Amino acid sequence: MGIPTAPLVTIAFKDLAKSNAAKRGMPLERICFTPHPVWGKSEAQMYEYLEGKDPVSGKPLMKEVVDALTSPLTADESKSGTTTPSVGPPTYVDTADNLQQYFLDNGMTDYLPIIIPTQEKVDAMLKGTSHSPDEVLGKMSPAKGAFPEWSYTVKHAAINAVMAGATPDYFPTLLAIASTGISALFSSTNSLVSAAVINGPVRDKLNMNYGIGAMGPFNQANSSIGRAWTIMSRNFCDGGVCGQTYMGSQGNVVNFSNLIIPENEKDSPWTPFHVQRGFKKEESVVSFFMGFGISQGQGGKGLGMKPVPHFHEAISWNTTPFANMYGALVLVDPLVANGLGDLGYKTKEDLADWLQKNTLVNINDIKTMLFSGPPRGQQIPDGTMIPRFARADMFNFVVVGGQTNPYHQIANMRYQLSVSIDKWT
Amino acid sequence: MLSLLGLSPALLAGATAEAQQKKISSKPAKASAAEPRIEGLNPKGTPPPIQLIPMAPRLGSLDGKTVYLVDTGFEGGGFLLNQIQLWFNRNMPSVTVVFKRKAGPYAEDDPALWKEIKEKGHAAIMAIGH
Repeated sequence: MGIPTAPLVTIAFKDLAKSNAAKRGMPLERICFTPHPVWGKSEAQMYEYLEGKDPVSGKPLMKEVVDALTSPLTADESKSGTTTPSVGPPTYVDTADNLQQYFLDNGMTDYLPIIIPTQEKVDAMLKGTSHSPDEVLGKMSPAKGAFPEWSYTVKHAAINAVMAGATPDYFPTLLAIASTGISALFSSTNSLVSAAVINGPVRDKLNMNYGIGAMGPFNQANSSIGRAWTIMSRNFCDGGVCGQTYMGSQGNVVNFSNLIIPENEKDSPWTPFHVQRGFKKEESVVSFFMGFGISQGQGGKGLGMKPVPHFHEAISWNTTPFANMYGALVLVDPLVANGLGDLGYKTKEDLADWLQKNTLVNINDIKTMLFSGPPRGQQIPDGTMIPRFARADMFNFVVVGGQTNPYHQIANMRYQLSVSIDKWT
Repeated sequence: MLSLLGLSPALLAGATAEAQQKKISSKPAKASAAEPRIEGLNPKGTPPPIQLIPMAPRLGSLDGKTVYLVDTGFEGGGFLLNQIQLWFNRNMPSVTVVFKRKAGPYAEDDPALWKEIKEKGHAAIMAIGH
């Protein structure tokens, strides 16, 4: 800004604030700290913070704030120039056990054993694509805008793919994922999760599981593609460093291998997800979602109706805890999709339209919800029931599962984008 | 271990949670002469160069100056700044305090506000809540 500025940060973000200031070129920025949290504290409690001490320096907090703006700069604080961060040597030589430990100790893994990425294995992985190893594949940040972006090449992706247990056949799908720059470990206090929906011929080419147990750890392609996305998200942007580039208060088990969802196109009565997004059915495509997480759909109003359960009512009911800043990603077994078809929902769009109109919330309640809010610029009388979600396209549907029972799962996640896998073969 | 691998202390300073992880991880076994050594490739991408930014000259004193309080939008940050405004009124009444909410989500730039602060203010305090 060009004028003295004092950032005031709560102590829980100390490591993040200091390390990110350094990455932004101000390693000695005069950051002042309050106790944590400020959210949920009364005015009196916050004023008490100001009258107290900075928990990092131990000095009176407001004196420190004033000093940050008024004390003369040191020579180091006035420095300019350029530095180049190091990420270590290009290779490490040691025994297999010691290399496992090196990779683990240096935050390059998901804290589970990896396949050591030898030159031979990486060369084999690179045979899975026609693209040059040196081609710059993309840029990634733990949270776009908040952290500097790192760049990475096709070869970097091959190294990470080997580590995760992927085979060369899976590599184009991983390149498509990496090319988007979407980190599966988005840094937020909300412990966010990521999903990749896979459509098209690639699902059968890789023998992906879209039937019984599709979203569980029961298939090499499903598992290792998801795991590789997490490992790439660590290594392509210094991501997943707790306290610095990952701030999810509780974390989320989904981050181990993410939600990898090959759509069960053959048993679905509806248009495949990628075709909804403008791709041809014979194209292989990966589509991305992010949000708060996934929950079960076995409960819910209407599921006990005979002879045909009212799946649409259950889906609507199960969005009750959802924040409307994200939408709903509804994962339905083919039995549910066909049941909904029998109930008259011949397309995904029909169902989305009904859900948007009939999933209602009291205006008084939505005003008190976190990450939700009433429509902007409208005066709505107290007590009015309004749609929880602003648009029908905030409901997305993917058919997945093996038809052992008519169940659904539902995630408070929003659609991001879809990209071609074929261009990375 | 980090320094052995040449990782930048600036990048990795204060990795509390990582350090906790390391405390409970087993030490690498010592390699015997008979064990084969293999070469593993570094999986890390390439960070951008860091341009060091000189800090703006300080004011010497806030007497008679205008200080902007900037709420970046995190929960609680604005309430804390309200209390800071009260603190200045009580303890440094010669300081003019202006409260502003930065436009957009936390990571979004707000050049119009920065321009206003530079033109009309002498200093700023930015609160990042939670």
